[in-house]
Amino acid sequence: MMMETDRKDGRTPNQPRMLSCSRNILHRAHGSASWSRGETKVLAAVYGPKAGTKKNEDPEKACIEVIWKPKTGQIGKAEKECEMIMKKTIQSICLLTVNPNTTTSVVVQVVNDDGALLPCAINAACAALVDAGIPMKHLAVAICCCVAEEGSVVLDPTKLEEQQMRGFAYLVFPNSALSALPKGSSLVDGEPLEHGIITSVTHGVMSVDEYLRCVGRGRAACAKLSDVLRRSLQKSE
Amino acid sequence: MDSRLANTWRLTVNEKKFIETALASDLRIDGRKPLEYRKLTINFGRQVSVPIFRPFFFFFSCWVLSVMEDGSADVQLGHTHVMGFVSSQLVQPYRERPNEGTMSIFTEFSPMADPSFELGRPGESAIELGRIIDRGLRESRAVDMESLCVLAGKLVWAIRIDLHILDNGGNLVDAANVAALAALLTFRRPECSLGGENGQEVVVHPPEAKDPLPLIVHHLPIAVTFGFFSTEYTMVVDPTHSEEAVMGGRMTVTVNASGDICAIQKAGGVGVPQSEIMRCLRLASDKAESITKNIKDAVEAFNTERMLRKIKRHSTAVAANVSIENDVKGQKDKLAGQRVNESSMSQMERLKLKPDESSISQNDGLGSETRSSDQISSQRAEGNAPLFLGGPSSWDPHTHGVDPDFLKASLAAQGKSNPKAEQSSEDSDDDVAMQEKDASEDVKPPSLATDSSETVEEQKTSIVKKTLKDAVKPKNRRRKKTRS
Repeated sequence: MMMETDRKDGRTPNQPRMLSCSRNILHRAHGSASWSRGETKVLAAVYGPKAGTKKNEDPEKACIEVIWKPKTGQIGKAEKECEMIMKKTIQSICLLTVNPNTTTSVVVQVVNDDGALLPCAINAACAALVDAGIPMKHLAVAICCCVAEEGSVVLDPTKLEEQQMRGFAYLVFPNSALSALPKGSSLVDGEPLEHGIITSVTHGVMSVDEYLRCVGRGRAACAKLSDVLRRSLQKSE
Repeated sequence: MDSRLANTWRLTVNEKKFIETALASDLRIDGRKPLEYRKLTINFGRQVSVPIFRPFFFFFSCWVLSVMEDGSADVQLGHTHVMGFVSSQLVQPYRERPNEGTMSIFTEFSPMADPSFELGRPGESAIELGRIIDRGLRESRAVDMESLCVLAGKLVWAIRIDLHILDNGGNLVDAANVAALAALLTFRRPECSLGGENGQEVVVHPPEAKDPLPLIVHHLPIAVTFGFFSTEYTMVVDPTHSEEAVMGGRMTVTVNASGDICAIQKAGGVGVPQSEIMRCLRLASDKAESITKNIKDAVEAFNTERMLRKIKRHSTAVAANVSIENDVKGQKDKLAGQRVNESSMSQMERLKLKPDESSISQNDGLGSETRSSDQISSQRAEGNAPLFLGGPSSWDPHTHGVDPDFLKASLAAQGKSNPKAEQSSEDSDDDVAMQEKDASEDVKPPSLATDSSETVEEQKTSIVKKTLKDAVKPKNRRRKKTRS
């Protein structure tokens, strides 16, 4: 039984790292969560709707502000980029019209970076938003898929693997919705909601086929992840 | 963000009056006495929090993983939560001090700690906090700077301490100070040696080649903060956030366990009589002793765990749930050894001990003997694999370990070749590792369960828990044999 790629820590290519998530860990923040995948760990805190929006934002909607704090060092362009990606992702899952003219701030602190940092942060932010009670349409689950030299797809790389792979993609999918409505009603263009991609960030080089394969694998992994996430969020109520 | 938006939390007049009135009868709002300190918890490295879901899918496991990283500490003082990280870099020294290393402290008041903390330039309290901790460490010469010199006038180590304030529950100075100290005590800097012509080239050894060195810390300056209220000279130790909003003045005393005062900071605020100040200094000395003991105990426990981890790295042991790939062979697999901690159910099917065995054979050349033990061990692997499907309890640190008799039996069954093999693999390791093993032989770590089980004989998850003695003893015997 030969695996396509032998990974250093012994995982199969389709196997993500150990997952751990906990909510409500901070006392001052309105909502907080910590999310860790193997050795990558991120802490997220949410301060609930504050009055007023920032300068160039639309006052008819709620504004989301993301602050990314790296483990050491100054805040540079890479951090700003992560902030922007997270902001757009969160904006698409939150119900922005419920609290117009308010600002919700999400602060993300990187505790350790060992590959797949942005997906980890998005998952943590999502859990923190749930903890704070911010109204959302559905949750977002994120995963990182990378493409190895020979074209095979590997899930959830560590930092070393990320650097060695030809290219990798961070993918964010919506959480599958448990709905009382009949099955067909939540379809978008004939496809179920959870087949859509909310965010996709790629680095490196990959062909269209490889990218689509990544998406397929990522989607399957996220389906499992979203079930686990829902269960864990419900349990700790 | 506008500051008016951020300051949505303010104490009402009623709350302020209540706090002051309660203090008049020696009661604090969180139930403490005025001179009582809050509970201090120090954690090292990145400790993943207790997982909360069962393994419905074998992709996700529910084991507690504690991976330790050097130089990072997580301190909780009541509700206050601070994280400290220490890192080092080779830089040019200051011109006036060519023989000394440098140390700098960066404090970040993260917006997640308090709604009133803003991003951007640090405010007064952030700067004051950084200065107090800096004075305590630098001017009392707590950390030995001269040992950080590599090449006088050219290259020295610069230590950088990053303190992240995550949750503001009051008394940030004390908590941040403890975090800085704890991180400094557990930090290890890479060893470097001089080489090249004239001995002017510096070679930095990676942690796999040579063990990193700890910093030399002479004493621990502990900061103790007092809060003064404008009514009746009331004084409290370790004020909480609400008390800080009410109090009229504060004083921070940095003192070490031998009673030496390293720094005192009282910046304005309500006037306090001399006798009160002297009383505060005495109290601070007492508190400093207990906090120092607390820190030292925590660091001891962490160092013990680290030593155990090191032993695991050097032995080519396998955690039952993790398959060791072929590149684990040789001594470069320390990284992989650390990875061994990550595992999941599906790994059980991939118990590959052969590469492990064969790496041993490479080291000592006992080809045929180890190969036969290969077969025995792989048979065992196959045979026991089905036992572990669906049972995460083998990795749970709270399950009971395997009884030593079974371990000894398995040791005997595999014959001499295995232990011998291990012995020689040990031989090829650094002397440092051996010393550490000797030192830790007396330690019986119950926490071993969280680490991967060692020794080649153990291929099963059921035998995860093995006391260190069982692992180490035969090896020591071997060592003497092979060395003599």
